[in-house]
Amino acid sequence: MARDTTRRRVLAAATAALPLALAGCRGIAALGSPPKPAADVTVASDAIAVERQLIARYGAVLAAVPGLAPTLRPLLAQHHAHLALLRRRLIVPHGGQPLPASRVTAGGRAPAPGTPGAALGYLRDAEDAAAAALLAHLAAAPPSLAQLLASISASEATHALILGTAARQR
Amino acid sequence: MSAARAEIAALQGALAAEDSAVYGYGVAGAHLTGARRAAALRNWVAHENARDALTGMLAARGAQPVAAAAAYQLPFPVHGAGAAVSLATVLEDRLCAAYLGLVGLANPALRAFGARAARTAALRAAAWRGSTLAFPGLNLPAPVRAAAPAAAGSAAR
Repeated sequence: MARDTTRRRVLAAATAALPLALAGCRGIAALGSPPKPAADVTVASDAIAVERQLIARYGAVLAAVPGLAPTLRPLLAQHHAHLALLRRRLIVPHGGQPLPASRVTAGGRAPAPGTPGAALGYLRDAEDAAAAALLAHLAAAPPSLAQLLASISASEATHALILGTAARQR
Repeated sequence: MSAARAEIAALQGALAAEDSAVYGYGVAGAHLTGARRAAALRNWVAHENARDALTGMLAARGAQPVAAAAAYQLPFPVHGAGAAVSLATVLEDRLCAAYLGLVGLANPALRAFGARAARTAALRAAAWRGSTLAFPGLNLPAPVRAAAPAAAGSAAR
C-alpha cells in the first residue's frame, strides 16, 4: 500500500516534469509571453508616474513664475522625497526599463499659467488629483506600500492646503 | 496574529491616540485665544466624535475598548500659546501614525477609513505647523518646543 502510493507519486512527479523537459528543448520561446508584473510593481509604477507628473508641473510653474520659488521649493523637495522612496519599492531587473515612458510625459503638454494666483490654483488642483490617484490603488497594494501611499496622499492634501492659502492671499 | 486580532489592535491604537488628543486639546485650548482657541475647540469636539466612532467599531467586533486615562503625560510643559500649538501639532502627528496602522490591515474598508482619518490628521497638523511633511505619520519629527516664547506670551490669554 505504502509502496503503491510512493510509486504513484514518482509517476506524478515525472509527468509534471515532462512539459518542462520538452520546453527545455525548445529554448527561450517556450517561456511564452513575460509574466504580468506583480500588483505592488504596478502600484509603485503608477505612483511614480503620478509623482513625476507633479514634479514636471512644479518645474513648468517655476519657469513661468519664478517669484513663487519660496513657496514652491519646499513642496517640490517633498515630491522628490516621495519619488525617491517609491523608486526604492521597485526592484528593476538589471538593464531593465524602470517605467513605461508614455505615462511620464503626459503632464508636460498643458502650459502652466503665467500669473501667480492662477499658477498656485493650478498646482493646488494637481496636488488634489494626485492625492486621489494614489488612494485609488490603496486596496491593491501590500500593507506597507498601502501605508506609504496613504502618507504621501495625505502629504499632497496638505500641499493643496498650503497652495490654496497662498492663492487666497494674492 | 489573526486578521480579527490585528484589526482590534489597530483600532485600539487609534482609540488611544484619540483619547490622548481629547485630553491634550483640553490643555492646549486653555492657553489659546481667538481663532486658534476656536480651532482647538473644533478639533476637540471632532476627536470626541472620532473616539465614539472607534469605540463603536471595537464594540461591534466584540472587543472591550481600552479606557481613557484620567491624565496623560505631555511631551513637554505647556504654559503658553506657542507650546499649546506645538502640542496640538504633536497630537495630530501621532493620530496620523495611529490611523496609518489601520491602512496596514487587509480589510479594504478599514484601509480606506484609516487613509481618510490620516489625511484629516495631517491637514490639522499642517494647519497648526504652517508647513507640510513629506511623510506624515511615517517619519515622525521630534516634538518641537515653541521657538518664540515672546510671541507666544503675547498671544496667550
